[in-house]
Amino acid sequence: MRQPVYSRGHLGHFVLNVWRHHELLRHLMIRDIKAQYKQSMLGYAWILLNPICQLAIMSFVFTTALRPSSQGDVPFSLFLAVGLLPWIFFANATTSATMSITSGPNLIKSVYFPREMLVIASVLVRLVDLAAGLLIVGALMVAHGQPVLWTVVWMPLLVAIHVMFVVGLSLPLAALNLFFRDVRFLVATAIALWFFLTPIFYSLSAVPERYRLIYDLNPNARLIQAYRWALFEGVSPPIESVLWAFALSGASLVLGYYVFKRMEPYFADFV
Amino acid sequence: MPTSSEAVGFENVSKRFRLRDGKTLKETLPSFVSRNSIFYALEDLSFEVGWGETLGIIGRNGSGKSTILKLIAGVMTPTRGRVRANGRIAPLIELGACFHPDLTGLENVYLNASILGMSDREAREQLESIIDFAELAQFMDTPVKRYSSGMSLRLAFSVAIHSQPDILLIDEAMAVGDKEFQEKCLERMRDFQRQGAAIVVVTHALELVRDYCDRAMLLEHGHKAAEGAPAEVIDRYVSIAAG
Repeated sequence: MRQPVYSRGHLGHFVLNVWRHHELLRHLMIRDIKAQYKQSMLGYAWILLNPICQLAIMSFVFTTALRPSSQGDVPFSLFLAVGLLPWIFFANATTSATMSITSGPNLIKSVYFPREMLVIASVLVRLVDLAAGLLIVGALMVAHGQPVLWTVVWMPLLVAIHVMFVVGLSLPLAALNLFFRDVRFLVATAIALWFFLTPIFYSLSAVPERYRLIYDLNPNARLIQAYRWALFEGVSPPIESVLWAFALSGASLVLGYYVFKRMEPYFADFV
Repeated sequence: MPTSSEAVGFENVSKRFRLRDGKTLKETLPSFVSRNSIFYALEDLSFEVGWGETLGIIGRNGSGKSTILKLIAGVMTPTRGRVRANGRIAPLIELGACFHPDLTGLENVYLNASILGMSDREAREQLESIIDFAELAQFMDTPVKRYSSGMSLRLAFSVAIHSQPDILLIDEAMAVGDKEFQEKCLERMRDFQRQGAAIVVVTHALELVRDYCDRAMLLEHGHKAAEGAPAEVIDRYVSIAAG
């Protein structure tokens, strides 16, 4: 390792660092995945079992107990899956990334490497879960005889925007959590609230017009809506909606990285 | 070796800490007001380490020795002054801190190497030598949590010295393993000295400073109390400690 040149946190530097340290990033991801499943008997099967269980419970509650309004041609379990699985990615990634700096105090105190790698790695690891989730969606679509439409090609771009948003949001949270351990409790509460303000088990069209602004400014809502357009409607998501999600995510990354890099030199003093 | 004339340079370096960790609001607010919660680990310290030179830093617990290493490693930044380190650094600080207990020895070697800035290719090329030096060939598929503390220190030490460093930072790390292994470590330190690497050693083992360092520095409460030939600085330390 070399002595760090503490950067002022411009986006160009972010991209350069990720490129330079992509091997480290991969090793950190492997560490997180292996460490998470190594002790369990079913091992990696949990990557699929976890979302299946959650989906099954939610589907049961909403189709049998609560009986929702119809969602057009799409079966409710499928409609729900495309909302819930990206949400689980968002919630888990943000939660674990917030704690990614504080969970390895010895590492922070002994060796320098760009600390954002810890945050990025813990977000990217959750992509494995999202990929597993989308596999389940694919299986459900086949089971329900839902045609797979060409607009599925939008998915990688939408997921990339989602990753950008989570990384941008998590960077300052992870840094702040080092100085104030209250942050992770606040994050948990905020995520619980955010769940209901995102159209996961209901459709955006069911929301009265005057509350729409909350949803327009919510990248999770924009993206989940876009996932549904791409997978079920067979039309490209409205371009201004994708651009908005991109702009909000980009802004969160630029701002989040700047704040993170400003705090980075003091990590070892406080950890 | 890199071309700059000195390997490590400290220019009027001060490092300040907050003593009380304001973790709650009740604790945080007063600490901004009162000044006695502030503590200088180092104050206005200047020194240099040249290529091929080994500097031994001695002093009592809490005199700021380890802070110097953390500043060179770049994990801490000085409150005032400048710290320079011109080359690839291998910090033998808190050895094994980068290991994950659930991963195997081999997995940890790759992880640790990459944290130290080695590419995967470098790590692959060095792998055999790393394992040989650590003497752990038959334990590479064992999770590190099953290792004894000596074994995991040996492995961490071995990875660090294989990262082809220009600057070696050693914090009591020579107390690794048994007598035989320690001798091997000291021999390797001699190799680094011959190759022109700069070494900074922080230790309470005065004989290590006497036998292996070119120069010694005595720290007291974050100030330089003496600097010069190891034998003289050690005498000074011993006489201060005696009374």
